[in-house]
Amino acid sequence: MQHVANLKDARSRADAPAIEVERLSHVYAGPDGGVPALTDISMSVNAGRFVVIVGPSGCGKTSLLMMMAGLRRQTEGAILCHGRPIPDPDPERVGVIFQEASLFPWLTTLNNIEFPLSLRGTPREERRRRSEAMLTLVGLVGFGERYPHELSGGMKQRVSIARGLVQDPPVLLMDEPFAALDEQTRMTMGHELLRIWSTTKKTVVFVTHSLTEAVYLADEVLVMSARPGRIIDHIEVTLPRPRTYEMMATDVFGRLRDRIWQQIRRSA
Amino acid sequence: MTRLQIILVRLALLALVLAAWEMLPRLGAVNPLLLPPLSQVLEMLGQLLVRPTVQEAVAITAAEVIVAFVVAVPLGAAAGIAIAESEYLGEVFKPMLFYVFSVPKSIFLPMFILVFGIGFQQKVAYAAFTTSFVVLMSATAAVESVRADHIMVARSYGATSAQILLRVYVPSMLPILLETLRISMIFNFTRVMIAEMYASRTGIGHLIANWGENFQMPQLFAGVIVLAAVAILFNESVRALEARCSTWRT
Repeated sequence: MQHVANLKDARSRADAPAIEVERLSHVYAGPDGGVPALTDISMSVNAGRFVVIVGPSGCGKTSLLMMMAGLRRQTEGAILCHGRPIPDPDPERVGVIFQEASLFPWLTTLNNIEFPLSLRGTPREERRRRSEAMLTLVGLVGFGERYPHELSGGMKQRVSIARGLVQDPPVLLMDEPFAALDEQTRMTMGHELLRIWSTTKKTVVFVTHSLTEAVYLADEVLVMSARPGRIIDHIEVTLPRPRTYEMMATDVFGRLRDRIWQQIRRSA
Repeated sequence: MTRLQIILVRLALLALVLAAWEMLPRLGAVNPLLLPPLSQVLEMLGQLLVRPTVQEAVAITAAEVIVAFVVAVPLGAAAGIAIAESEYLGEVFKPMLFYVFSVPKSIFLPMFILVFGIGFQQKVAYAAFTTSFVVLMSATAAVESVRADHIMVARSYGATSAQILLRVYVPSMLPILLETLRISMIFNFTRVMIAEMYASRTGIGHLIANWGENFQMPQLFAGVIVLAAVAILFNESVRALEARCSTWRT
């Protein structure tokens, strides 16, 4: 019986969703018993999907993402990554891209990309080989020996994405990665990200407060309410792939964008 | 302007100053008793450098400067990092340290004489005491210059505490720490000089003070040249270290 149980367990893991959040709540510790930040969040992200979480500032979407990354503990509820809890950061399973590119200014582009590998003592040649492959993937061939202060904002965020992908984690969590970029760079980067995503077949959970970005990038959009954050809508984006800039002018795009906005406005 | 031109202009300026130093006293434009001509000072310098008492004084001053520095830097850095990293220690000590930092440290010199007597220990203790304050303040700033997002990134890639220390804290703090070394060396040297000039039996500071009081201007100026040479040597050594360690600048 034991044997069968293990088998069943293994199978359920193999096709478990990439990310599962079950009845998660979070309260920030404070003088009057604390401030509720997230309330009863349940969601599931299937492998290979591009899911965008959108919500007003301060709704707790970044906190939720940090909990999925094992960087922060929730007060209640569970998070499973491919069927297993993630109490601490695990770069083999989950890569995180932050709002600021947060590159180390004392390292070259290649050394920044290799940073996660060097933490685990990957041999030098293998590190170089993998970081150079990532450099090609994000379209920065020839910039490997540059320092971050020699790169533009968009290029820095590309390096940061390369760093997040270098250990080949199946899941990529992105916390408003393009929020600090100008509108034009942001559009280009969104397009680039979709190209990288379609080549690497990662599961992406992407947090943003931009409605356009949400609709343009996502397979599914989860809409969160103002604090305390709850999931108030789950939208399937039916636009075909590959996405093009022209789609932004279509009725479907406009209706989806409007539906998200109405939800957010009503919740505030 | 090319690099060569700049060097030529610098040399020309230097030659001009040295020529003026030589000629003005000779022409009687300034009192040669107050400012002896350069040639006379250099001649005196040659004589002084071979004198065992002067050699000993230079060696003692250099030793005081080095020992005080070696004591003050780790002490100040450790205290500064502790205060910046521990919220509790910071709350308790920061205001006090800032108040004490604003007080001119020279007023403590008589106390050091009372405790240590006049000698090597007193010079070193006084210089190390004042220098460690400079190091402490800068070390605090260095810790505060470590960016929270860099720590977060390292954590998200599974870095251990030791790895965060070595690969995020140290390189983040390095530019400020190296700058601190240089500035604290200047402070340190100044404090040793003050201590030597105030009350001492040997050292360049002591010799210069004596020559000044006895109106021996050629000796005084020769002493200033020796002192300047030693100070520049210390400063440039630290700067060379600094340049080697920081290949990046933002």
